[in-house]
Amino acid sequence: MSILSAVLLGLAMGVVFGFVLEKSRVFEPAVILGQLQLRNFLMLKIFLSGVAAGLVVIGVLVATGLAGLHPKPALWTADIVGGLILGAGIALAGACPGTTLAQIGAGYRDAWFTLAGGLLGALTFTYLEPTLRPVLLEGGAGKLTLDKVLGVPFPWAAFGFAALLVIGLVALERWRPWQEEIGTNTDGLLPPPETAASAAPAEAASRA
Amino acid sequence: MPALTDRAWSPYLAGALLGLLQIPAFLLIGTALGASSSFVTVSATLASLVDPAIQQIDYAAKHLAGAKNWWQVALVVGVALGAFLSSRLSGTLRRGIAPVWERALGTKSPAIRFVLAFAGGFLMLAGARIADGCTSGHGLSGMAQLAVGSFVAIAATFAGGIAVAHVLRRV
Repeated sequence: MSILSAVLLGLAMGVVFGFVLEKSRVFEPAVILGQLQLRNFLMLKIFLSGVAAGLVVIGVLVATGLAGLHPKPALWTADIVGGLILGAGIALAGACPGTTLAQIGAGYRDAWFTLAGGLLGALTFTYLEPTLRPVLLEGGAGKLTLDKVLGVPFPWAAFGFAALLVIGLVALERWRPWQEEIGTNTDGLLPPPETAASAAPAEAASRA
Repeated sequence: MPALTDRAWSPYLAGALLGLLQIPAFLLIGTALGASSSFVTVSATLASLVDPAIQQIDYAAKHLAGAKNWWQVALVVGVALGAFLSSRLSGTLRRGIAPVWERALGTKSPAIRFVLAFAGGFLMLAGARIADGCTSGHGLSGMAQLAVGSFVAIAATFAGGIAVAHVLRRV
């Protein structure tokens, strides 16, 4: 595919991606921070639904022979160390790399600083990569996927895992209905913890 | 029926639509959804203007050319456009800094927030590049391909995120 058509397709797909991220509210810093403080579970609902739908879609593509897998190789040191640093960054930024751009589109001013920091972080890694490479490539298992571990065809493992995620999501929704986590200004901001804590006993008292 | 002017969609509908985006990615580009490698493409392109020697680094060279790299850059630019369009249609355009930060940081100071956002962005992309993927590449795409490394990376991401989020004030 030519660069021009790849760019046009990327733009079109990105507009859909960004539109859906905005409608889902997962780009809101309060949703991301609320999830990491285990107070608001909207992010997990969107994320696991996206994984479940992806499992079904990719399972069908593989079963029909339309596409093959592109898994990243398992590299224990890189996955664990990189993941921990990525998570720390997500908590401070109140965003992940993709939703930073959604925050910019939606109008948040501080997201421009997240973007600038991100570009410098990626550039710093690029300059250090030749030095870090021997450490990062240590202790890997190659392009290992769960279906191979279990010894079943990919589509069956994918559909099975998707079914488990759906069961988990149904339970999560029963525990925490999503409409109650959206917030009055659709930004995922819930009543402050102090008032939420003090309101509950007061309510119990008034009922008694 | 969800409308384009809605302020929010069900997280399950939104998640399902994100999963469907894998179809054009796999069939037309031959890759899965991702976001963080575009930061290498853009920053290395900018750096090459002042430091042409960066092209000698294999990792930079691998990200500078090719349709897939520029597809992902276009994808993240599209994300900003799509989010703008959606918030414009629903009247939820944001301004300034989200109110959650005053609660989390205990201050209204934009300077403190900007410094923290910059530091967060730096760590986020440094970490994503070390792990070779972010919440999109390892999360949405890696887990949907049952990649064992992606499960480990996402578990570590949540662990790191939960630990640091608990250092901030409760939101």
